[in-house]
Amino acid sequence: MKLKKVHAYVFVFPSLFLTLVFGIYPLLWALRYMFYDYQGFGTPVFIGLGNFTRILRDHQFWSSVGNTGIYALGKLLVTLPMSLVLAIILNRKLKGRSLLRAIYYLPTIFSASVMAIVFFIIFNSYNGILNQLLLKYHLVSAPINWLGADYAMLTTIIIAIWGAIGNYMLLFLAGLQGIPNDLYEAASLDGANEFQKLKYVTIPMLGPVMQMIIMLAITISLKGYESIMVLTAGGPYGKTEVMYLYLFKLLFPVSGETQGIQQLGYGSAVGFTTALIVGGVTLIYFRISKKLNDVY
Amino acid sequence: MNRTNANFTFSPRLARWTGKTVLWVFLLTVAALLLFPIVLVLLGSFKTNQELTSGATIWPKVWNFSNYAQAWEGANFSRFTLNSIFVSVTTTIGTLIVASMSAYAVNRVHFIGKKLYTLLMASTLFISIGAVVLRPQFDLMVMLGLNKTLWGVVIILVSAHATCYFILIGFFESIPKDLDEAAMIDGCNFYSVYWRIVLPLLRPALAVAGLSAFQGSWNEYILPLVFTMSNPELQTLPVGLANLRYGIGAAAEIQLMMAGACLSILPLLVVYVFANKSFMQVTLGAVKG
Repeated sequence: MKLKKVHAYVFVFPSLFLTLVFGIYPLLWALRYMFYDYQGFGTPVFIGLGNFTRILRDHQFWSSVGNTGIYALGKLLVTLPMSLVLAIILNRKLKGRSLLRAIYYLPTIFSASVMAIVFFIIFNSYNGILNQLLLKYHLVSAPINWLGADYAMLTTIIIAIWGAIGNYMLLFLAGLQGIPNDLYEAASLDGANEFQKLKYVTIPMLGPVMQMIIMLAITISLKGYESIMVLTAGGPYGKTEVMYLYLFKLLFPVSGETQGIQQLGYGSAVGFTTALIVGGVTLIYFRISKKLNDVY
Repeated sequence: MNRTNANFTFSPRLARWTGKTVLWVFLLTVAALLLFPIVLVLLGSFKTNQELTSGATIWPKVWNFSNYAQAWEGANFSRFTLNSIFVSVTTTIGTLIVASMSAYAVNRVHFIGKKLYTLLMASTLFISIGAVVLRPQFDLMVMLGLNKTLWGVVIILVSAHATCYFILIGFFESIPKDLDEAAMIDGCNFYSVYWRIVLPLLRPALAVAGLSAFQGSWNEYILPLVFTMSNPELQTLPVGLANLRYGIGAAAEIQLMMAGACLSILPLLVVYVFANKSFMQVTLGAVKG
């Protein structure tokens, strides 16, 4: 048996090694450099909590946090009810059920960045197909600037919703299938109609699963930035800049509206702060939903 | 509003029929909205540039394949595609080997530190500080001399195998331990049991985990973007495609974007048509883990 233990360590080693070197070490690296002024070259200067006081004064960062809130709320308020309704419908016996499921789930399998390009082709105000169609059928009199300051956030939220509905529909469906059939049969015997079954069986039984799914949805929606990065690069005038995108630009000043200089120390501090914000929001949701559970 | 309407009552049959119609209109509208961008890009990739920018059509008037030729040869998409295939295939194989080995050991042997290891794997799923980790990862690759190859991207993608690990460990429960013992008595050792007994039995799970790894690496954008900033010849499909957006005259290259986007989504689309159940398993498996 001793021999077996040695084998086990040998088998776990590749996974452990990779996780420690490329997963944990970068975290520790960031934990160290958040206290330094470091721009990727030269000697890092220790500045203690200097980066964090800078965050408190950083209007751009806080406006990106606000944008993240708008983006996440807009996405969740449409996605979650929609996917729950679809899941409830598709959970019943229906002709073509599996085909519809496959269609609704399809958008979730593609890369966010590639789909952002597809949506750029659609929403592009200069020659996008959407404006062409709207003008052709006289639904609007002048082309709408979908990627301009007024509509850019709406456009990014539409894309987020499009890519997420299928995912949560599937998770809700899995939850619905976990509800024992006896309950529905009992309800039928007691003379409950479809709506009463929904209200007294489905929703209460789905409670705990729903809590988990919503929690997952919140964290994912706060972290998403790929499609925004490709579609608008946070523009125009920072209107669609979410916090993880702002962070990316600090570390890798690239195309679009660049920050100019790489700021690794400050970026690490911002990264730590964003993680705290995501964790905090998740925790608050968890507390509130627990309270609601106790009430009902 | 006249008085006779008040006395008019729906027959139950008519009511059910109306309900069904409303339901189907809703379902089909949602389906149409979700399919629209995908159908548009598949059809649009065959249109001429002129029709794309001013045609206001969904169905192409004339089918032409020149966009693909132009993207494949002129815009370097042949290179992007090869790079994407390399990254996805090697990442998938690497991830399956690393994840299945450790899942086998954790499921079959009691060793010191097992709980800690599981905790570590779970924590990598939940803790995310965004793009910050890319810098030290890149520095490590510079140290290893791998920053000018795609192996750097592959190794980092393989290192993020926690999702696949949890998918596999969930399946391991279904392989009876008596089989191992019987094989041991027949003269197999720890390694040959893994290779000859466990892996063949794990095939369905490996398919799901492999699909997850393939999909993830095929769709990955940020990591190859950072790694190929100074090596444009290493760009993968999502990176090369996104660069068109901020290239010179982006608006004039719509037909290239269309063809490029098609190349990027077609492989997944084809697999999905045949195995959409497996794709759904990926999502569910990852969450259940």
